[in-house]
Amino acid sequence: MLLTTSFVGLTLQSPVIVASGPASHDVNQIRLAQEQKAGAVVLKTACSDKYAHMRSWPRPRYKLLDWDKQIAGRSKAFSLYAYEQGYSGTLADYWQFIRVCKEHASIPIIGSIFADEAQEWRELAMKVEQSGADAVELDISSPHRPGSLGFETTFVAAIKAVVGAVVIPVLVKLSPGPDVVPQSLSAQECGAKAVTLCNRLRGVDVDIENQRPILHGYFGGIGGPWAKYYTLRHVAEAAQAVSIPISGTGGTMNGEDVIKYVMLGATTVQILSVIMINGWESIGQINGEIEQYMTRTGISSLDQIRGKALEAMTHPDEIIRWSGESKKGPRNIWTDDKTAEE
Amino acid sequence: MTPTAMTNEQSKYPGLHPLPPSFVREFPPVAVVVEEKCIACDRCPPLCFFDAIVMEHRSQHKYKRTAVVVTENCTGCGLCFEACPVDAFEWVPDKTPGAGSSKATGESERDLSA
Repeated sequence: MLLTTSFVGLTLQSPVIVASGPASHDVNQIRLAQEQKAGAVVLKTACSDKYAHMRSWPRPRYKLLDWDKQIAGRSKAFSLYAYEQGYSGTLADYWQFIRVCKEHASIPIIGSIFADEAQEWRELAMKVEQSGADAVELDISSPHRPGSLGFETTFVAAIKAVVGAVVIPVLVKLSPGPDVVPQSLSAQECGAKAVTLCNRLRGVDVDIENQRPILHGYFGGIGGPWAKYYTLRHVAEAAQAVSIPISGTGGTMNGEDVIKYVMLGATTVQILSVIMINGWESIGQINGEIEQYMTRTGISSLDQIRGKALEAMTHPDEIIRWSGESKKGPRNIWTDDKTAEE
Repeated sequence: MTPTAMTNEQSKYPGLHPLPPSFVREFPPVAVVVEEKCIACDRCPPLCFFDAIVMEHRSQHKYKRTAVVVTENCTGCGLCFEACPVDAFEWVPDKTPGAGSSKATGESERDLSA
């Protein structure tokens, strides 16, 4: 009960949501998430027929970087380099997927879609709603897409079209980067009920022996525990600018990370890498860690700490500064070692 | 029992380990456990997201158990290669019905400038 969170009109049993991806492409995974008391599940993204090639996946599509096999990933830092694609079935399969999830699961089910033309976005979103999903997330930011679709040119129209066509809440998932705040504001203006910050960064690693990028030779989505420091900042900045709730995602490994997101203004936190690496039990573990923190600090609701760190954030001009000048004299005289010894 | 797997040197599809083998144009690759190498450490089954790895009893095996890939469930994602501390995984052609339906991605996907 401690963890009950209200988000876009839904009541979640926990602020921890399973993010869209390989942990939500199968109905049995929804069951596992529910058993672990996840707050909700964002299903894997379904692509419009125009992007049907995204339903086939390259093999292999994962590579763990900075990962120590010998200690089975107990290293605290790693990077998951993935060329993950969309939902592998047809759209009809996806609607059925949502229906089965809704029939059996009690936790909220959030559909996730991708298209390009506003009309297609609207149709997909309406089908998601008709299939029974509790909300829809617009995945306008996957790191694997060609990237030729602009936010202003394509996605603003898409958000407007979807918001005008469905009653269920609309979430917008944004890319990390300098545009997070303006895009969040724009999503809010268009009527989105929440923003998800952020999708994974698009990165690349090089195989220096073969002198080419690793895996299939293209950029991959890259995330890991280190990514939280960037998304925490994005959440903090966006939380100061927008009034709609924020679902923070990126690099969450434990309950502490969730609390950090909440303290910077996030309402819910989406997790994925940690489930892939440490298993489904990590959801229950994260929930337990949040509860422990709440009991220890004597708070009865996360609302009491939401945005607390944000309130304590200092303006850079207010940071106390002292002289940076050398007290020994001018620093623009080149001194070689001999002179230094003398 | 173990079908022929391509070594890293033979692969025409370079990249860091695990390398997809050269037969990737003909058959999608799928993982298989080289049972003699397996040390039954139990690390790969939980890392597999498709319930495609199970531990099986082998009375002749040094550790009495071994990991086994359930080919029907394997999507060839390569995560088990990352889990294995003794590199006991190899790629073999996936001849499961339906596996061959994967298409090569469109040209736009390859266009780095896009």
